[in-house]
Amino acid sequence: MKTQSPPSLDIRHLLLKQNEKTLLSLNEVIKGGEILTIMGPSGSGKSTLLNWLVGMLPSNFQATGELYLNESNITHSASHVRHIGLLYQDPLLFPHLTVEGNIAFAMPAGNKQQRLDKINEALDQVGLTGMGKRFPQSLSGGQQARIALLRVLLSKPKAILLDEPFSKLDSQLRQETRQLVFEQIQRHCLPAVMVTHDQSDATAAQGKVITLNSTS
Amino acid sequence: MIVPNTVFTRTIASTPTLLILLLVVPVLGGLLGLLLPAFGWLPALNSTEFNLLGFEHLLATPGIERMVLLSFTTSLISTLFAFLITILILASYFNSPWLHRIQRLLGPVLVIPHAAAAIAIGFLITPSGFISRVFSPWLSGWDNPPDWLLPNDPYGLSIILGLTLKELPFLLLIALGVLAQPEIGRTLKAQHKVALSLQYCPMTAFFKVILPTLYGYMRLPILAVLAYSSASVEIPLILGPNTPPTLAVAIMQWFHDPDLSLRIQASSGAILQIAITLLVLATWTLLERLTKKLLLGKLTNGQREVGGMFIKQFTNALTFMMLSMIGFALIAMLLWSFSGFWSFPDLLPQQLVSLHWQSALTQMQAPLWNTLKIALTTALLAIVLTLFVLEAEQQTTKNIAVISGFIIYLPLLVPSIAFLFGLVWVLEQINSQHSFINVVLAHLLFVLPYVFLSLATSYRRLDPRFSAVAASLGASPAKIFWQLKLPLLFAPILIACALGLAISFGQYLPTLLAGAGRLNTITTEAVTLANGASRRTSAVYALVQMLLPALFFLLAWLLPKLFFRASSEDIK
Repeated sequence: MKTQSPPSLDIRHLLLKQNEKTLLSLNEVIKGGEILTIMGPSGSGKSTLLNWLVGMLPSNFQATGELYLNESNITHSASHVRHIGLLYQDPLLFPHLTVEGNIAFAMPAGNKQQRLDKINEALDQVGLTGMGKRFPQSLSGGQQARIALLRVLLSKPKAILLDEPFSKLDSQLRQETRQLVFEQIQRHCLPAVMVTHDQSDATAAQGKVITLNSTS
Repeated sequence: MIVPNTVFTRTIASTPTLLILLLVVPVLGGLLGLLLPAFGWLPALNSTEFNLLGFEHLLATPGIERMVLLSFTTSLISTLFAFLITILILASYFNSPWLHRIQRLLGPVLVIPHAAAAIAIGFLITPSGFISRVFSPWLSGWDNPPDWLLPNDPYGLSIILGLTLKELPFLLLIALGVLAQPEIGRTLKAQHKVALSLQYCPMTAFFKVILPTLYGYMRLPILAVLAYSSASVEIPLILGPNTPPTLAVAIMQWFHDPDLSLRIQASSGAILQIAITLLVLATWTLLERLTKKLLLGKLTNGQREVGGMFIKQFTNALTFMMLSMIGFALIAMLLWSFSGFWSFPDLLPQQLVSLHWQSALTQMQAPLWNTLKIALTTALLAIVLTLFVLEAEQQTTKNIAVISGFIIYLPLLVPSIAFLFGLVWVLEQINSQHSFINVVLAHLLFVLPYVFLSLATSYRRLDPRFSAVAASLGASPAKIFWQLKLPLLFAPILIACALGLAISFGQYLPTLLAGAGRLNTITTEAVTLANGASRRTSAVYALVQMLLPALFFLLAWLLPKLFFRASSEDIK
C-alpha cells in the first residue's frame, strides 16, 4: 500500500447488472473527508452498490469495473481485508459482548492495557464515560449509535460506507449523531459513501449527490 | 460474494458434500446390501446364485398375510387418528390460550423414546394396569384383573393407541410451527377473521378456510409419520401381538435367528416392507384425493355452522382423556418403579420401596455409559457438521435447502428396517468390526436430519448485516464464525444438541443392528426387559429413558440464561 498517496476511494467504470439488466453505472473518485451521497427509491440498486463496495455481492448480480482504495486495487479482495467500514441504520452491536468487547472485537490485536486505554479514551470523547462494562441492550438508541461509530473508527478503516445511518433516530438525536459522524469522517480524512432517503442528510453531507432511478 | 481462500473456508466448502455422502451412501448402500441377499446372493451361506427362494419362503410363512395386514392397518389408522385429533384440537382451540397449553403438555411426549412410551402405555392398559385399578372394584365390580388381551391384542389396537399417542404431539407441533411462520400464520389468521365477519362460526371457519391451506404444509411430515409407523419396531414389539407380529418385527426376529438361512427370508421381507410402506403412502394419497373430491363442493355451500358445539364438546372430552392417559401412564410408571407388594385392585401399592431403583441403577451403569458415549459423540458430530454446512451455504450464498431438502429427509422416509439390515451386511462385508463407530454412524443417519432442521431456521434467520459489519471491521470468516455467529446462536445450538441427544437416546434398531448386539444402551435394555422380566425394573428403565432427554433439555434451557445472559433476549 502506498502511504504517500492522499486517501481516496476510486470507483472506476462500475456497471452493476442483474440478469442482463443494468442496475446502475458509476465512475467516481471520493477524496478523503468527502462524502458521496447516493439517493434513490428502493430497488434502484443502492444496497447492491454497497454490497459490491464491501465485496459481498450476491451471486445473482454481475459487476464489471474496478475499485481502488488509496491507489491499490481491491476489486477482488475479500471483505475483511478491504478496510472499508460499514455503518447501518441499526447499530448492530454484538449482543453477546459488552461495549468494551464490541470495540475490542474491531481493534487490531495488541497490548491489552493499551487497547483498554484507547477504548476508554474514545468513550470519554463521545460522552459515554464508564459505559464500557455495560451490555449494548441496556443503552439508549443514541448511545448505541455512538458506540457503533466508535467501533468502526477504532477498526482503523481507510474508507467508510453509511447505509441510511440515521434513519432510525428521532430528529434531535439524528442531527447530533449526524454531526458527530461527519466530524469524525473529516477528522480521520476518510472517503465516505452514504446511501440515504433523507434530503437533510444529503444537504448536511455537503458533497456530491447522485440520484439513482428506479430500474423496475 | 468474495470468499477468501483460507483453510477455514476450504474446509467449510467441502462439508455439504460430506453431509450428502454421510446420508446417501449408507441408505443407498443399505438398500443395495438388501437387494443382493433378498434375491439369494449370500456368500456367507455359500449361496451365490440369484433366485426367488427367499420370497417363496417368505410367502409360505404361516400368518404372513396377517403380518402385512397388521403393519398396513396399524400405521394407516394410527396416523389417521393422530391427524384427525390434531385437526380437532386446532379447530377447537384456534385463537384460544388452550392451544399452547395443550402443546406444552404434549410437547415432552415428543422426546420420550418410543420404547419408553410403549412401556408406559402397556402399564396403563394391561389387565392389572392402572386403568382397570382406577375403575375397580367400585364401578367394574372386578376383584381380579379382567380377562382381556390388552396389550398384545391380535388386532393391533394397543399398537394403534401407542402410535397415535406418539404421533399426535409431532403433528400438532408441525401444524403449530406452520401457523407460527409470520407470513403464513398471519394471513391465515386474518382469513379466519374474514370468515367470522361473514357469520361463519369459528369451528366451521377453521375447516373451510384454514384447513385446506394448512394441510398442504403438513403433507410431507404426515407422509414421514406414515412411513415411519408402517415399519416401526419398538411399539409393535412391546404392545403388539406375537403370533404373528407386524412384518417389521418379524423381519427383525428372522434376522436375529440363529438359523442363518432365515437371513435371505428377512431380506426378502424387508423388500416386502418397502412395498407395504409405499402402499400405505399411496393409500393415504388416494384417501386424500377422495376426501378432496367429496368435500370440495361443501366448502362453498354457504353452511356457516356445521356441528360446531358438538365437535367442540367431543374434542374437549377427547383431549381430556388423552392428557389424563399420559398423566396416568406417568404416575403408574412411577408407582411401579417404587412399588413393593401391590395387589389388585388397589389403586396404590401397599408399600413403597427404593429397591428397584437401587438394583437397576447398579445394573444400568454400563448401558447408561454406552448411551451417553454414543449420544454425545453423535450429537457433537451432527452439530459440527450442520453448522459447517449452514456456514457454507452463507459463504456461497446458494440455498443448499434446494439440494439437501430432500436428502435430509431420506433416512426418515426410507423404512429404517429395510436399509439398516443392508447397512449391517455392507459393514460385515468391509469387515468393520468397531461396533462403537458403526453405531455412531447409524445414529448419525437419524440424528442429523433433526439437528439440521432444528438449526437451519435459526442460522438462516441471523441478521446477515452482523457478519457484514464484522467483516468490515476486519474480522476474517473464521473469526466471524467462531466469535460472532456461534455465541449469537448459543441457545438454538444447545436446543439442537439436546434434540440430537434425545433422538440418539431413543434409537433401538440402529443400536441393536449396527452394534451387532455388543453395545447395550438404556433403550435396548428397556426393550429387552419390557418383554418378560420384572415390571418394576422395566418401569425404572422407562423412567430413566424419559429422564435423560428431559435432563438435557433442561440444561439447554438453563445454560443460555447463565452464559451470554444479555444476548438471549435479543436473538429470536
